[in-house]
Amino acid sequence: MTMVEHSFSLSELNRRVRNAIRDQLPETYWMRAETSDVRRNQNGHCYLEFIEKDAATQSIVAKARGVIWSNHFQLLSAYFETETGQPFTSGLNVLVRVSVEFHELYGYSLTVVDIDPSFTVGEIARNRQLVLRRLEEEGVLTLNRELALTELANRIAVISSPTAAGYEDFRDQLSKNPAGFVFYTKLFPAVMQGDRSESSIIAALESVYQYSHLFDAVAIIRGGGATSDLSCFDSYAVATNVAQFPLPVVSGIGHERDVTVLDHVAHTRAKTPTAVAEFFISHITQTASELADFQGRIIAESEAVMLAEQSALLALSKEVVHQSALLLQREIAGVERTAATLTHALQQLLQQQLHYVESKQQYIRMVSPEHILQRGYTLTTRNGRIVTSLQDLSVDDTIETRFSDGISTSVVTGLRRPDPPAAE
Amino acid sequence: MTKVVKQQINKANDMEKMTYTEAKNELEQIVGTIESGQLDIDTLTSKVKRASALIAYCREKLTKTDKELRKILEDIS
Repeated sequence: MTMVEHSFSLSELNRRVRNAIRDQLPETYWMRAETSDVRRNQNGHCYLEFIEKDAATQSIVAKARGVIWSNHFQLLSAYFETETGQPFTSGLNVLVRVSVEFHELYGYSLTVVDIDPSFTVGEIARNRQLVLRRLEEEGVLTLNRELALTELANRIAVISSPTAAGYEDFRDQLSKNPAGFVFYTKLFPAVMQGDRSESSIIAALESVYQYSHLFDAVAIIRGGGATSDLSCFDSYAVATNVAQFPLPVVSGIGHERDVTVLDHVAHTRAKTPTAVAEFFISHITQTASELADFQGRIIAESEAVMLAEQSALLALSKEVVHQSALLLQREIAGVERTAATLTHALQQLLQQQLHYVESKQQYIRMVSPEHILQRGYTLTTRNGRIVTSLQDLSVDDTIETRFSDGISTSVVTGLRRPDPPAAE
Repeated sequence: MTKVVKQQINKANDMEKMTYTEAKNELEQIVGTIESGQLDIDTLTSKVKRASALIAYCREKLTKTDKELRKILEDIS
């Protein structure tokens, strides 16, 4: 049973590994690595993962657990934050001084005793600058930013983890917008952290591209996750896809402190998923207010025109009344003049008539039988008939002679005719 | 059916097919024309009518759910 004699229990073997490490790596070492899955426990100790990625492929080539004990962490994290302007979290390239540990139960880990923040500042910036410069050289850096977000941007393709709290926040925020604008969201699920995130986000973008005619914009959102592995948002592959995407991309990856490459190339950068929702609400509010502005201008202009028309009409009607009154006055004056003339003429006519009648009366008086009788003429009648000729009379006829003041009755006693002119 | 009535019906149908931006552009043009102050009152009335219809159409697009679109998006897998 040589195998048994040459075998170790796991703990025995692990103890040997521990001793070997302690003997071979007794000092502390400055190490460059990327932080991942940084978290603090209740005692204030910080646990994390150190990883190293291949510069070209971004795939993880080395990984180790790390710990910063509470007393160190309080000092180091404050120092780190002061120097870099950001908290000590995941996704950072760091230069740390570590002691190498191996524990039989917990395995291999690195205990951090010191940190050089200036390295991190340089590393993140350098990496982003490299990617941004490459995008610029390829002429794609600003392509997405140059797209115009359509006025009615309410059909939004969402790239997110379906279980992320940020996705729910995003949907809630959109649906409870106070003006009641309607939004259409469609989730294109993607892994938003870890090694698969880069390819997963790109695959989601490709799915959206298939249906791009149905959407106005893309939202890449993330939030509420445990870790802050942001490397995929600084990745060239994701950035170049986003930059060249035909629809405006809005980023909201819950990364408060600095601007990732994705944020740079995206049409619009928002800090959180909620802020992305706010952006879309604000954009459509703008659109609606433009509409209200048009309406206001149309109403104002119409009112002005109507008012002008009304006052023109009023002026016109006043003019009509005025001119009518003038005309009427002129007519009345004319009629009055005519009436006066007529009255005068009538009076004259009447006067003339009066004269005429008076002269006629005079004449009639002159020629009336009474007048004639008064002048001494008499009127002879026989049996009520006027006698105008001797031939109507015979001797013994009774005749009546009319005077102006009475009648006498007489008997004809003789008839005498003037001697006829001697003809024989 | 008169030509005018036909045109009006065509216009109404046109609006249904209009995108928001098309409707808004026409609206903007009408506002410009109205504000130029060159319109007589009869033309103004017809322009205002058209503008009101466009505003209503745009507003509906902003606030009324298009069930058909919602269904299409749900069906994407």
